[in-house]
Amino acid sequence: MSPLGWVFLIVSLGFVWGLTLWCYYKVLTMKEPPPRELEEFHST
Amino acid sequence: MSLEKQQWGTRLGVILAVSGSAVGLGNFLRFPSQAAANGGGAFMIPYLCALLFLGIPIGWAEWTMGRYGGRKGFHSAPSVLGVIGRGRIARYLGVIGVLIPLAVSFYYTYIESWCLGYCWQFVTGGIGIDPGSSIPDQTATASRFYDNFTGREHNGVLAGGSYATMTFWMITFGVNILLVYRGISKGIEKFCSYAMPAMAVCAVIVLIRVLTLGTPDPSKPDQNVINGLGYMWNPNLKALGNAETWLAAAGQIFFSLSVGFGVIINYASYMRKKDDVVLSGLTASATNELFEVGFGGLITLTAAFVFLGVSGTIAATSANIPFGLGFNTLPVVFAQMGSIGNIIGAIWFFMLFLAAITSSISMYQPSLAFFQEALGWTRKQATTLMVSICVVGSFLVMYYSRGSIFWGAIDNWVGTFLIFVLAMVQIICFSWIFGIDRGWKEAHQGAHIRIPSFYKFVMKYVAPLYLLIVFVAFSIQNLPQWVQGVMDEPLQQGALTLVLAVIGLLIVCTWIGERRWRAASLDLDGREAPAGEGAEQ
Repeated sequence: MSPLGWVFLIVSLGFVWGLTLWCYYKVLTMKEPPPRELEEFHST
Repeated sequence: MSLEKQQWGTRLGVILAVSGSAVGLGNFLRFPSQAAANGGGAFMIPYLCALLFLGIPIGWAEWTMGRYGGRKGFHSAPSVLGVIGRGRIARYLGVIGVLIPLAVSFYYTYIESWCLGYCWQFVTGGIGIDPGSSIPDQTATASRFYDNFTGREHNGVLAGGSYATMTFWMITFGVNILLVYRGISKGIEKFCSYAMPAMAVCAVIVLIRVLTLGTPDPSKPDQNVINGLGYMWNPNLKALGNAETWLAAAGQIFFSLSVGFGVIINYASYMRKKDDVVLSGLTASATNELFEVGFGGLITLTAAFVFLGVSGTIAATSANIPFGLGFNTLPVVFAQMGSIGNIIGAIWFFMLFLAAITSSISMYQPSLAFFQEALGWTRKQATTLMVSICVVGSFLVMYYSRGSIFWGAIDNWVGTFLIFVLAMVQIICFSWIFGIDRGWKEAHQGAHIRIPSFYKFVMKYVAPLYLLIVFVAFSIQNLPQWVQGVMDEPLQQGALTLVLAVIGLLIVCTWIGERRWRAASLDLDGREAPAGEGAEQ
């Protein structure tokens, strides 16, 4: 494994792991919208 | 329309379902071969460009179109594209969005059943490879098993004596239909919310085993894990000057993310109007990349290299056998792992089975939704029609199994060529007919993150142009050979006849649906804005 191979490996893995963890952090920490029944009740 | 109203239960549920649809066999088996053959680590440069400028933006467009169509009561590609593309042309082109998942399912479920069959074989003692024999002998044993199990040698898996294949196909198909019949929330979502984490656990177990292999044969010190990783990741920067590298990278991203497949439009149509599509689309893409680069990029070739060396790995990746790396080569690798080999093999094939089934259930839902809304049928009636078509298609695929010619033709023309066409139709409908400004506002309804503003330019100009260049280059590279194949091979002609028959049926259904939707005063040409449109958050 060449030094440049390590660079490509680490940067690529860092990118996909970083992006995935950031996305799931955002998804899991944001508020769920109200259930459809409640939404429809408010809109009427 | 008197259809039962379906919707996703949770935000995470729809993300896992779309991710499950995208993560498939190609993530573990196709990506590493493509990368190793096209510049190794350097492949990641065109790959990430294609992800950022092609895959993610078209994915966002699909999510947005699907949710918009769902607000108007539509759930299939013909009806949704009719609304977005404002008319009949887009609506009838949308038939491709039902055809692709339906026709691909004919052979995909068959391949999926191989995963289940191989998993069972490893649970019950392996596929008969003698680790004491020479590597060429072991490879020959694995090939014999593969040819017999998949019916590759002769037409008809039953005629070849492999009743096991048929049994596993029936189990696989039955589970698929059961899950889809149970509905979006109780069937697909619930299953994916267990299957995706289970797949990740299996991938981690196999990855840990592969990365701790060290140097299994001290007499071959070069065949170690670090060199195995180097085989996949050492960059050949000269490959970046080769157009084929960029084409291969774009193709890999494109097929891997399931954009232009007709599934995302359908899945997103069950979202509520204030459900986020931007973060959800990005998260589904990221999940797919994690499985592809984070697991696929580390497991498959590394394991093959450690036991088979450079020449064995090259032979495995260059052999013209469908998914031969996974079904033909890795069983030999597992045989070298000693007593734990069968366990790792079972986990590996179970993981592939989960990857495949989360994809295949997404292939049935679009046609089910289409038959329901076009014909006004109940779920039971629509399921019966869909199952009938799939049984005919799958039986033909299994009967004409020799050399994978029959299903290979469907894969070329429907699972590859038409995906480009549908993606092009979708991005043009979204950015140019629906309008990028309107589409941008629609995408940001309920969005929890904002798309960087330069993506407006990307979605309007860069993605269509990028796609067009890739499509033209791909066609120049492959079409002459494919056309010749159809002219010469009766099995390919039979496959295309089947596809044309399905297209005919779908067009008739669209015509019936069009009359029904008009009679029901639905806005099938997208002339009216739905309530709340443009209320950007």
